[in-house]
Amino acid sequence: MRNIWMLIQREYLERVRSRSFVIFTLLMPAFMAGSVLIPEKIEQMNSGGEKRIVVVANNPQLAAAVGRELSAAAAKAKTDLALETEELKPTVYTVQVDTDTSDAEGDRLRQQVSNGQIAGFLWLTDTALEDHKVIYSTKEAADFGQSVEIRNAVRTAVTKQRLSQKGMKDTDIDTMLTPIKLQTLRIENGREGTSGTTVFFTAFAMVMLLYSVVLIYGIAVMRSVIEEKNTRILEVLLSAVTPRQLLAGKILGVGAVGLTQILIWVTFAILFSVPGLLASRSFLGEVHIPVGGMIAFAIFFLLGYLLYSSMYAAIGSMVNTDHEAQQMQWPAMVPLVLGVVLMNPVIQHPNSPLAFWLSIFPFFAPILMLVRILVSQPPLWQIALSIAIMTATVYGLLALASRIYRVGILMYGKRPTLPELRRWLRYAG
Amino acid sequence: MADVVELRGIRKSYDHFVAVDNLSLAIRTGGVYGLLGPNGAGKTSTIRMMIGITMPDEGEVRLFGERFHRGLLHRVGYLPEERGLYKRMKVLDHLVLLGALHNLSETEARKRSLAWCERMQLSEWTHKKVEELSKGMQQKIQFIAALLHDPELVIMDEPFAGLDPANSVMLKDILIELKKAGKTILFSTHRMDQVERLCDSICLIDHGHAILEGDLKKIKASYGKNHVQMQYEGDPGLESCDLVQSFNNYGNYVEVRLKPGADAQQLLRMAVDHARISRFELLEPSLEEIFIDQVGRHA
Repeated sequence: MRNIWMLIQREYLERVRSRSFVIFTLLMPAFMAGSVLIPEKIEQMNSGGEKRIVVVANNPQLAAAVGRELSAAAAKAKTDLALETEELKPTVYTVQVDTDTSDAEGDRLRQQVSNGQIAGFLWLTDTALEDHKVIYSTKEAADFGQSVEIRNAVRTAVTKQRLSQKGMKDTDIDTMLTPIKLQTLRIENGREGTSGTTVFFTAFAMVMLLYSVVLIYGIAVMRSVIEEKNTRILEVLLSAVTPRQLLAGKILGVGAVGLTQILIWVTFAILFSVPGLLASRSFLGEVHIPVGGMIAFAIFFLLGYLLYSSMYAAIGSMVNTDHEAQQMQWPAMVPLVLGVVLMNPVIQHPNSPLAFWLSIFPFFAPILMLVRILVSQPPLWQIALSIAIMTATVYGLLALASRIYRVGILMYGKRPTLPELRRWLRYAG
Repeated sequence: MADVVELRGIRKSYDHFVAVDNLSLAIRTGGVYGLLGPNGAGKTSTIRMMIGITMPDEGEVRLFGERFHRGLLHRVGYLPEERGLYKRMKVLDHLVLLGALHNLSETEARKRSLAWCERMQLSEWTHKKVEELSKGMQQKIQFIAALLHDPELVIMDEPFAGLDPANSVMLKDILIELKKAGKTILFSTHRMDQVERLCDSICLIDHGHAILEGDLKKIKASYGKNHVQMQYEGDPGLESCDLVQSFNNYGNYVEVRLKPGADAQQLLRMAVDHARISRFELLEPSLEEIFIDQVGRHA
């Protein structure tokens, strides 16, 4: 026990003290924050401002109505956004009505768009309306926000016009067209809890964190075994400790580094998000801290890490170079990636038979059972079964890995073929 | 007194290759024991079984009069042939780790490491990383690591391989010192000159079998003075002479092994007729010749 503890300490301290650990640990939150904040900043810088557009229509009242809808939308957006952030300003559209629907006018407007005199023009002629196909021509066709704003304005204006032609009163039309919001809430312990979107993003973020940390540290275990083989330190150690102790010390030591990293990141995340969450509590509703989810994350992370790192350790002991290892690591890599790929169907139908069987399979369980726990409430027996199967698999894999490791670390030649590997497993202690 | 190491009919095979076959030997307490054999003879496999890195398929390993168990390993110091260190660890931390893995307390391991480093003139380097040290210095650290826990039995696999001359001399001095302190030293090598200078007893193994074992002086005496070293000018035609069993030309002199019962004086008389003899000396065979003879006989 003392030996394992010292090996864990060595592995842990060497890694935590290394420059790459410090840099990676600090850069990752910076990168994450950057990938959220920088596009937001750019959007803020580009937001607001005025846009002059021309609406070409046979019916000037319809064209004017589109203009009114655009300004109404801008006004509404302004009050909505004020709650969230002050920097983001809605675009203000100036609409010019044009009743000349000739092709020549179209060409003239195209010219104006090219010159930058106007932001774009809307071809809202009667023919276009009959075809149910209206074209907005602009240089910034990729600006989805703008397309959506204009599309909504046109739809509302046309619908209103048609309804009023059928003899409805304007006030009735407004009431009728007020959209209905739909919010999906997750039922937890018989009561409504977190909203669907929050659930989805929390699940996604947690699973990606689990996946990347298991992968990074699984590979770290493998590389560390290869490095020990290459430095020829192993036989020196083997006169004092058993291969099993070495393997345990390595897997636990590297795992502790992974755990430390997650803890640092989670602390960062909490420090950065708590002030924002508290400030926005008024309109997000009650801030929900998924304690159950966190416990599940801890359990599935540990089991998943043990499962995959023991495979990686076995692979590391079979090869001599990183290059060889890359060719050999698919048995560990494929199930892990497949688990992430299968996440989508499981999120959509978390209680389907397929989701059940996938989340019971030990190599997918760390990802897929965790997803199910986070997005729905699978029966407790299923969670227990999945953990039990995983624990048994981890136990078996560790036994297998330590047998391969024990022989592999003393072999410096070519890597073993499958029949050779079978014989390794049978060698006496 | 019980033997320090006793191997009883051990056998180890890998796949279809038998590395060690029915090998038995006993190493008495105190003194230097040499395990000799050509490359691939099974020396490393034998040593690995002595210290439980691998287990024999058959037979029994006994250390200090007990059946092998891992608790005995803290009384053994081991320097493997394939040796290395953690490159990024600091020298002192590394030595403390290895000492502590051999059951020393950290304080004791630190104290002893510092003393050894001072003796080996490494004091200035204890807080440097291993990778900053020269290869020769790393070799010294490896010796220290094998001896830190003051083992009663020191096992070294090809300890002189790859050593620079200065470290070679230093290692030899340490081994002699350990011997004087009553420790038992076992080392393997395929270099006979070292064995001849250092060993009290030897075991010669080839193809996994022990083909010669015992006290070095007795082994040599049993061969008798049937070897002749000669220097001469001209060609006495020794190679085809019916008194000679084997003939070895070393350039500056030749060494001849006589046939059993052949008379050295007769050889001298015959040689004088054909060449000018400047040196004629009767000798015990060198270990190298015993080695070649034995390996050849069992091949």
